[in-house]
Amino acid sequence: MRLVLTNVLPIAGLGLLTTLLHDSAWGWATTTLGLLLVVIVQTRSLASFAAWIDDPQRSDAPDHAGEWGEIYLKLSRRLRVEARARDEIEARLRSFTDAMDAVPDGLVIVDGNHQVQWANRAAGDHLGIRVPRDGGAIIEQLVRTPGFAEYLGKPGEPSPFIVQSPAARARTYALRIVPLGQRNTLLVSLDVTDARRVETMRSTFVANVSHELRTPLTVVSGFLEHFADEGSMSAEQRQQFAHLMSEQTRRMLSLVDDLLTLSRLEAEDAPASEEEVDMDELLAQLLAEGQSLSEGRHRIQASCKGPALRGNRKELHSAFGNLVSNAIRYTPPGGEIRIKWKLRGELGVFSVRDSGVGIAAEHLPRLTERFYRVDRGRSRDTGGTGLGLAIVKHILLRHQANLAIDSRVGEGSTFRAEFPDWRLRPDDPPSDDPQTSG
Amino acid sequence: MNDHLSKQFDLELENIRTRILQMGGLVERQVLAAVDAFSTGNLEEMQQVIDNDREVDAHEVGIDEDCTLLIARRQPTARDLRLVMAISRIVTDLERIGDKASKIARMSKKLHQAGGQRIPRLSDVHHCGRLANDMLQGSLDSLARMDVDAARQVIGADKAIDAAFNAILRQLITYMMEDPRTISEALDIIWIAKAIERVGDHATNIAENVIYVVGGVDIRHSAPAASKADGA
Repeated sequence: MRLVLTNVLPIAGLGLLTTLLHDSAWGWATTTLGLLLVVIVQTRSLASFAAWIDDPQRSDAPDHAGEWGEIYLKLSRRLRVEARARDEIEARLRSFTDAMDAVPDGLVIVDGNHQVQWANRAAGDHLGIRVPRDGGAIIEQLVRTPGFAEYLGKPGEPSPFIVQSPAARARTYALRIVPLGQRNTLLVSLDVTDARRVETMRSTFVANVSHELRTPLTVVSGFLEHFADEGSMSAEQRQQFAHLMSEQTRRMLSLVDDLLTLSRLEAEDAPASEEEVDMDELLAQLLAEGQSLSEGRHRIQASCKGPALRGNRKELHSAFGNLVSNAIRYTPPGGEIRIKWKLRGELGVFSVRDSGVGIAAEHLPRLTERFYRVDRGRSRDTGGTGLGLAIVKHILLRHQANLAIDSRVGEGSTFRAEFPDWRLRPDDPPSDDPQTSG
Repeated sequence: MNDHLSKQFDLELENIRTRILQMGGLVERQVLAAVDAFSTGNLEEMQQVIDNDREVDAHEVGIDEDCTLLIARRQPTARDLRLVMAISRIVTDLERIGDKASKIARMSKKLHQAGGQRIPRLSDVHHCGRLANDMLQGSLDSLARMDVDAARQVIGADKAIDAAFNAILRQLITYMMEDPRTISEALDIIWIAKAIERVGDHATNIAENVIYVVGGVDIRHSAPAASKADGA
């Protein structure tokens, strides 16, 4: 409209004026020329507009007066608003993707043809699927565990599908599928390695306990059947059987005692009370107990060259006693056992050295596991419950002490409990304890 | 060929690829289970591997038939034809690997039943088995992704297995020289190690086929450029 007012009307007026002054031919010519000029100017503006709209970001809107200027102004304003909105959405998408990558569970979206659409970072660790590399790939071609394809075909399956990670086989993942929208499926992978390890440990533990309790029970019930038969048995035989039975029940009792001790130790984080333990006296007691267990078959020595130790006397006695009785049980008659308490550098070290059978290196890391036996037959003969070292380890952990084992097959073993320095200084306990001087 | 037909064709081709990779997954598990059973002496697992071999064979027959049908009905050309050809070759390799797995399981069973372990179950054999399985997995991944670089890596890894095999051989020879009573046991272990080493070779074949599909270059029986540089 404005174009007509500002350009066309003056030209028409000029043409009319020329017609009046000269003749109509001149008038037409002037009008035509004028309109032609207008058309050329507008075409050029249009061309530069087209050039600008191709890439509005790079250059500013060219300066124009009139309606062109207005168009440029409006358009660039709208473009700016849109660009800002787009940046905002992109930033949000980025933060969403970051959040998804931070999720510890693997997430994969597959479409109706089982082609991978999207995956987060954990999916790469769990299943080896990484986008964009694997975008569009068919998921069964990448996750090839037998049975997975069938599982994917049955959405509604309540139990998860278990796979060993293709990337690192040591880990186990539970896969679940969740329908997503009309045709897509969301695949969630969860790392269940630790949960399964705990599960296995628990079931082995239960199996071990049952086995250990069953063995003496079988013996006892066998003898009891004999007793029921009566008659044929001499008094001497009867007494011998009773003796064996009481031995087996003692074994069961000590096993149950050890189990109770262990569960108590596990239930609480720290000993109920701590005191200054007189190591001279404790070692003398250990020596006496050791000698009565050995019945004179071993040479046992004790030497105490360290200060008093801060801790729970009953627990320490139990831990050290276990180490001493182990040494006696695994040392053939005539062997030598040395019990020592001394300072080594900053640490207080309690050690039991024997000249016994020794332990092969491959067993050392597993020695403190419950019911772990180096030699299945022998240890039960000697009356162990299989829980002694587990108890020792727990007690030492509660005293922030470390258990070190040196051993050579045929030469003997040394078990060392190393206590931190602050447990050796009576003046300087780490926390205020009202029962300091016990 | 109109659009609908070509789409149908792509689908069939993808299906064959999925099937062979599924078969690969089964074979992968067979190898791993056989090697694990050898180390742990788990008789049940050995029997499982031996029984599952029939399933592997069934896969082979099915995939072969699919390939023949696809060639007859669709007359694929260029890359598609190469893919079908390669798949029918890979099937044979996978089936052989399956045979090796069941052979390992059968040998382990025999060893176990003979009793009397004079030679400790060498952890080297287990390690070698893991290496072979990694190669197999790598070759199948390269087939799934049509990834030439991954395929070349698999081919390069074969050397490590050969080295591990030679190490086992040397070790067993030492045992046999020290005590002739170990010979029969050692021979069985050698068969097992050899089977594992062959798994690696078949995995190499699979990787070579992947390179053939993608590039159209047949690199069988020719030393790849990478290993030429090593002086092999």
